[in-house]
Amino acid sequence: MVTKTEDTQLNRLENQVDNGGGGAWEYLCLIKKLKVRRPEKVLKYGLSILNDSKKRSSLGPEEWTLYEQVSIAAMDCQCLNVAKDCIKVLQKKFPESKRVARLEAILLEAKGSWTEAEKAYTSLLEDNPIDQLIHKRRIAIAKAQGDISGAIELLNKYLEIFMADHDAWRELANIYVSLQMYKQAAFCYEEVILAQPTVPLYHLAYADVLYTLGGLENLQTAKKYFASTIDLTGGKNTRALFGICLCTSAIAQLSKGRNKDEKESSELHSLAVTALEKDYEKTAPGKLPLLTAALKSLKIS
Amino acid sequence: MAEDLVLDTAIRDWVLIPLSVVMVLIGILRYFVSKLMRSSSQVPDLKIVKEGQVFTPLQYLIIISSLSYINLTLDCFLILDRQVIVRARNLRSAANFIPPKSFRARRVYFSNEENGLLHVPKGQAPNPQAQMFSDPNMAMDMMKKNLSMIIPQTLTFAWVNFFFSGFVAAKIPFPLTQRFRSMLQNGIDLSTVDVSYVSSRSWYFLNLFGLRGLFSLILGEENATDDTQRMMQMSGFGFDPTKNLGAEKDSLDIIQHDWALPKFEQRAEKVLRNLIR
Repeated sequence: MVTKTEDTQLNRLENQVDNGGGGAWEYLCLIKKLKVRRPEKVLKYGLSILNDSKKRSSLGPEEWTLYEQVSIAAMDCQCLNVAKDCIKVLQKKFPESKRVARLEAILLEAKGSWTEAEKAYTSLLEDNPIDQLIHKRRIAIAKAQGDISGAIELLNKYLEIFMADHDAWRELANIYVSLQMYKQAAFCYEEVILAQPTVPLYHLAYADVLYTLGGLENLQTAKKYFASTIDLTGGKNTRALFGICLCTSAIAQLSKGRNKDEKESSELHSLAVTALEKDYEKTAPGKLPLLTAALKSLKIS
Repeated sequence: MAEDLVLDTAIRDWVLIPLSVVMVLIGILRYFVSKLMRSSSQVPDLKIVKEGQVFTPLQYLIIISSLSYINLTLDCFLILDRQVIVRARNLRSAANFIPPKSFRARRVYFSNEENGLLHVPKGQAPNPQAQMFSDPNMAMDMMKKNLSMIIPQTLTFAWVNFFFSGFVAAKIPFPLTQRFRSMLQNGIDLSTVDVSYVSSRSWYFLNLFGLRGLFSLILGEENATDDTQRMMQMSGFGFDPTKNLGAEKDSLDIIQHDWALPKFEQRAEKVLRNLIR
């Protein structure tokens, strides 16, 4: 996770570098440390350092990690020739390195030669079966080929070993949602929430999935998670507000006839409606009639 | 003893200084030999909690010799265990954020008596270390791999024992309690000698363990023959991962699930009311 201070520091450095103020190397280091994705900048400034032999030699041994960083960024930007050159330099310096072999495999993948890349990854995994990055690359290949079920299988295998990797759980949840396998997706989102219980977006995604699943119990749970999203975002999340409205009307529809005291929750509903109206009034007054019509249709049903 | 022992200066010149110099030289030699012999793949660090354990020198030698034999399967086991523990801990700490049904399902998954992830069947030791020691082939393999480690140590120990046993080699300038006698006067069976006198064999051990700082100065921070670090790793090694799993299982079993989400509805109302106002 990138903290706020680090973020501001990054932006400050980025500004400075963009305006020619120097400090490119510090900027690149920070990018690497925070693991943020800025391929164009890394490519631009990294290459300018690498092409300047004086600057390059002043880095000392850090030169090689810069080569690695730039080659990955180049592959991200589809500048495959640059990446190839960088990897060639590294290959010359470290002929037996697994790390360079990994880069080469990634280059194969970037070229789109899936079978060769797959072969390279498999042989790398034989040497070190617990290389997380390679496992992830293989999943990415499966996904890039459109082999979603294969990706799911690989991802599940990966999660059997690295079950504390919540990003992988989130990825799996996304895939399941795209395949409309909501029950499985709900499980994955629960896992993500367990790992990071205070991130409102995960609550929201989980609530969405539950709402889509339907059924009285799921709807009530979904409503609770929409409510927690509202609480965690301070009521700024429009989707969660809409979610509350939808859930309330769906619940009312399902529990029609059954007399349950739902007074307090209906208050939440009316509050959400007012909040929505107010928000629309402020940001998009032209669409207010649309909103009222939509909400009205929800109430009637 | 009332009067002080007077140590011959020849002891200093021919025991104390040669011993220290030899220890340093051997440490440096060992560093380069192990650098040559080290396998190419540096497996991830085993950062397992250190447990307070005390080893006798012989145990220490044996365990040190087994240390660099950290093969990948073992690593896999440990990583799996660690991942399970992290996940179970997450479940424990954030349990109130998922619905009760999901929580119960997960708890069963982790701690049921048949095939729960945290359940360790009794009698059967899934401890890879035990397996490693029980298999003679593996043990042999391990010994071969660690000759660079064990040979210089046994040799120096034998050498010290043969030539220098029974010397009182040095005196430390402050008094110590009787408990330190076994540490400082190894090889001298006289209870009347003051504890602040150091025997030559103890001087050897002090050097063996205490030269780490010097080595990291001479050989750079990351020198691999670092004994103290090995000791840390070793105690991680001596520790039984199943114990950790069991503890995690127990604490998972006793936690009460109290779903936090119903409270969130009221909190959300409050937030919205503030927002509207």
